[in-house]
Amino acid sequence: MEDLKFNYHSFRSEKARISIKFNKTLLTILFITALSLVISGFIFIVLEMSFGWTLIGFSFVPAMMIEWYNGELHHLSALKESKQIDDLLSGEVLGYMSKSPTPRQVAGLLARTPGGRFFAVRFGIASNFLQDLSSDNKDDMQMVWQEAVALRKITDSRNLSAAILVVALLKCSANYQVLISHLQLDIDDLIRGIEWYDHLRGLIEQGHSPRRTGGIARDWSFGWTPLLSRFGQNISQQIGNSGTLFTSLATHSESLDQVINIFRKNGRQNAVLVGPSGAGKTEIIHAFASRLLDGSADIPPNLRFNQVFILDSSALIAAAPGRGELEQLIPRILVEAYKAKNIIICLDNAQLFFEDGVGSVDITNTLLPIIEAGNLRILLTMDEQRYLRISRRSPELINALNRISINPVDRAETIAVIQDKSILIEFQHHVTFMYQSFVEAYCLGDRYVHELAMPGKAIKLLESAANYSEGGLVTAESVRQSIEKTLGIKVSVATGNDEREKLLNLESLIHKRMINQTRAVKVVSDALRRARTGVRNQSRPIGTFLFLGPTGVGKSELAKALADVYFGGEDRIIRLDMNEYTSNNDVARLIADGADNTHSLTARVMKQPFSVILLDEIEKAHPNILSTFLQMLDEGVLRDVKNREISFRDAIVIATSNAGADRIREYIERGYDVEQFESQFVDELINSNQFRPEFLNRFDEIVMFRPLNKPELLQVVDLMLNSVNKTLASQKISVNVASDAKEYLVEAGYDPRLGARPMRRVIQRAVENTVAKQMLSGDVTPGSVIEVSLTQVRQLLDSKSKAQTLINEKR
Amino acid sequence: MVYYNVSSYNSNMFLMGMLSWWYSNGLLGRVRTMKDRLITSVDFFSINLLISTLFAPYKQISAGAVVGSLTNQMHAFFDRLVSRFIGAFVRGFMILLGSFTILLQVVFGVTVLIFWLILPLLPIIGLILTVVDWIPIWKI
Repeated sequence: MEDLKFNYHSFRSEKARISIKFNKTLLTILFITALSLVISGFIFIVLEMSFGWTLIGFSFVPAMMIEWYNGELHHLSALKESKQIDDLLSGEVLGYMSKSPTPRQVAGLLARTPGGRFFAVRFGIASNFLQDLSSDNKDDMQMVWQEAVALRKITDSRNLSAAILVVALLKCSANYQVLISHLQLDIDDLIRGIEWYDHLRGLIEQGHSPRRTGGIARDWSFGWTPLLSRFGQNISQQIGNSGTLFTSLATHSESLDQVINIFRKNGRQNAVLVGPSGAGKTEIIHAFASRLLDGSADIPPNLRFNQVFILDSSALIAAAPGRGELEQLIPRILVEAYKAKNIIICLDNAQLFFEDGVGSVDITNTLLPIIEAGNLRILLTMDEQRYLRISRRSPELINALNRISINPVDRAETIAVIQDKSILIEFQHHVTFMYQSFVEAYCLGDRYVHELAMPGKAIKLLESAANYSEGGLVTAESVRQSIEKTLGIKVSVATGNDEREKLLNLESLIHKRMINQTRAVKVVSDALRRARTGVRNQSRPIGTFLFLGPTGVGKSELAKALADVYFGGEDRIIRLDMNEYTSNNDVARLIADGADNTHSLTARVMKQPFSVILLDEIEKAHPNILSTFLQMLDEGVLRDVKNREISFRDAIVIATSNAGADRIREYIERGYDVEQFESQFVDELINSNQFRPEFLNRFDEIVMFRPLNKPELLQVVDLMLNSVNKTLASQKISVNVASDAKEYLVEAGYDPRLGARPMRRVIQRAVENTVAKQMLSGDVTPGSVIEVSLTQVRQLLDSKSKAQTLINEKR
Repeated sequence: MVYYNVSSYNSNMFLMGMLSWWYSNGLLGRVRTMKDRLITSVDFFSINLLISTLFAPYKQISAGAVVGSLTNQMHAFFDRLVSRFIGAFVRGFMILLGSFTILLQVVFGVTVLIFWLILPLLPIIGLILTVVDWIPIWKI
C-alpha cells in the first residue's frame, strides 16, 4: 500500500456510517412498517381502493433496507483492490471514524465495536485504557495505520478490524512492552488475540454455510446394526446431529491423514493411536468421524460417510457376565459391523479389551484373529505404558496393528485448542475466559497436573477455574485460585500486604521460634523473597540448602519454622529420614508411584508441591540415592517410576547433616567464626569421601550451624516455656518460671554434644510435671498463674547428674 | 441551506448505495443463497448416491453370500432379489421425489431472482396502479 490516507467521504465510509445507524430498534421499526404497509395495502385493495397499490409498492422500501443491511452493511467487506485505509477498515470501525481522526479518538470509538469489546473482556485492554495511552495528534495516525496494515499482513485478516486497531494503538504507545507485560502478555499473545477474534467470526460464518453429510439415502445401501447400536456409541450420528467444533492442528491433522491413508490402502484395516492421556486421541477419532461425514472433504470414496462406533466395554461386560458369553457376543457384533459395510469400530482406551480388571476384560484371543485378518476397519486408542505392557504380553497383537504416535501439543496449539474448548465451557458455566487464563492454565497445568498430557491438562484446569470466576470472568487469578484450592499449591505472586510484610520480616518471624543461626535464617529468607517476587530461576527449586552442624542446634527447627511461618503450617514439611534409605533398593521406594506407596517422595511432592522438603541426616543415604537427587537439585524435577516428571520447583529443599560435627565444635572452641572455616570444612568433607563434590555443588548454599552457647540456651528455654504456655492457654492457665530456675534448667540440660535437644526433656520433667501435679491436686483454677521456683525445679532435678542420667536413659 | 445540501447528499448516497448493491452483490448473494439451498437439497436427497446404489440390496438385507445346497443358494438368491427390488423401489421413489423437489426449488429460486430484479420498481408500479385506479375484479 502506497498511500495510507483516510478518506472520510469515500463511498465505503458513507456506507459504514449508514450501517451504524441500523440498530435493533430501527430494524424492528422497518420490519413493522413493511408489514403494516403490505397488510393495509391489501385491505385497501379488497375494499376496492387502488391506493392500496401504493402502500404495497412502498412496503418494499423498508424491506429492501433490511435486506441491504443484512446483505452488505452489517459486515462491510474490505475492497479487493485497496488504495486507502478506508478501503480496508472494517465497517464496525469505519462508521464511527471522524474526518481527521487522532489515535485517542480511535481508541475511544473502539469501545463501541465488537472487536474493541472483545479485547477489553478477553485481554483487559479496555478502550479508556487505550485512550490514556494514545496521543491526540492526528499526525500520529500515520504510524497507527502502518502498524495496523503490518498486523493485518501477519494475521492474514480480511480487513482492518477493531481488534487489529487495539493492538496497533498499543504498539504505537510509549513503553508498550512494559504495559503489556503488566497485563502478563507479550506481542505474540496480542497477535494470537487478533487471530482468535477472526477465528470466532469465521466460526459464526461457517455455521451459516450449507453442510453436505450424505442425506437420507446415505445409509440405505448399508446394513442394519441393531446389536452394534446397543453396545456402541455412534459418534458419527452425534456429530451429524449436533455438529462439531474442531481446531485444525498441525500435529493432529498429520495423524488424521495417517489414519485415512491406512484405511485408503488394502493393507490391514486398523490403526492404533498411542499417546499419553489428554494428548487428544479421542479428539482425533471425533475429527476423523467428522471428516468422513463431510461430503466436500478430500476422502477416498470407500470411506465417505462411514460411521464410527465406539464400543462400550462396560455395557458388553454387563450384558455377557457368564464365562464365554462375551467371547460369543463380540464376534456377533463385529460380524454385524463387517456386513454393514460402512462401519469403523473404535476401541477407545483399548486396554479395556486386552486386560482383565474392573470394567475391563481380556478378549485378546477373540479380537486377535479379527485384527490379524484386517478386513474390518478398527481404530484403537491406548496410552504408551499400556501399549508397552500389552506388547510385552501379546507381541503378535502389536505386530498386527498399525501404530500412530500422538504427541502432546505445544503451547501455541494448546492455546488454540482451549480457545475452541472454552466456548463450550463458557456456555456450560456461564462464564467468560480471559486470554491470560489460558496461558496460566497452560503454564500451571504443565507444571502441576501430572496425570494428563497437553492439551488435556490445561482444559482440565480451565474447567475447574470456571468455579472460581470473579463476576463471571475467569482470569489468570481464577486459575491460580483453582489450583491453590484443589491441589493446595501456592502459586500466586506476593501481592497482598500481609504477605509482603511477612516476606520483608521473615527473619524476625523465624527468630520468634529460632535462636541465633542468623546466617542460616538469612540465606533461606533471601531465597524465599527471590522466589515470591519472581526474580529466581524458575527451572530450579526455590532454594536448595545443605545445613551442616551438630545435633540440637536448630537445623530441623529452621525447616519447621519455615514451613510454619511461610507455608502456613508444620504439615507443609515433607520429611525424609535418610537413614531409612541406606540401600540401593531404596531408590525405588523414593520414587514409587503414589498408587502403590503414598509415602514416596515423588507422591508426596506431587500432592503438595509447595513445601519444605527436609532430607534429614543426608550423609546416611545410599550413594545412589544422592545421585537420584542430583537432577532434583539442579533442574527441580525428579522422574517417578512411571517416568512422570515431578516438579520440585515450588519446594525448598533442605538437607541436614551431622557430618563433621565434632570438627565444627573443635573450630568453634578454638575461637573461629563459622564464616572463617566454612570452605575449609567443605573441602574436608569432600576429602573424607563423606560427600561427592558434584553433590555439594548442586546446593545454593551450604550453611554451617554453630553449637549454641549457654546464653542462647536460656533463650531456648524461654521459647520452650512459651510453647508450654500456648498448650495451657486453652485451660486459661499459665506458667511462670523464675529466672534463677531457668538458669538452673540450662545448667541441667546443657550438653555440648547434643545442643538444645536435652533441654526439652529437662523442661518436660521439671516444669510440665510440676504443672500436672498442681492441676491434679486442684490447687489451680482457670485464670491462675503457676509459679515455678528454683526450689521446685531443684526438687525434681536435684542435681545436674540426675538430669544427665535422665538424658542417658532416653538416649 | 447547508443542512439541506448535506441531507440531500446523504439521501442520494443512501439510494445509490442501496441500489448499486441490489443489482450487483445483492443479486449475486441471492444467487449464492439459492445455490446453497440447492446444494442442501441435493445433499439431502443424495440422488447421485441413490442412482449409484439403485439396485443394491436394501439395508444389506439378505446380502451376504450363502454357502450350502442349491436350494439354499436359490433361496438366498431370491431373497436378495426381493431385497434389491425393495431397494430399487424405495430409491426410485426417492429419486422422483427428490428431482421434483429440486425442480420446484429451481423454479422458486428463478422466480425470486426475477422478483428481486423488479422489486426496486414496485413503488413506482404501485403509484401507477393507483393513478390508473386499477382494481382486480374478484370473482367468487
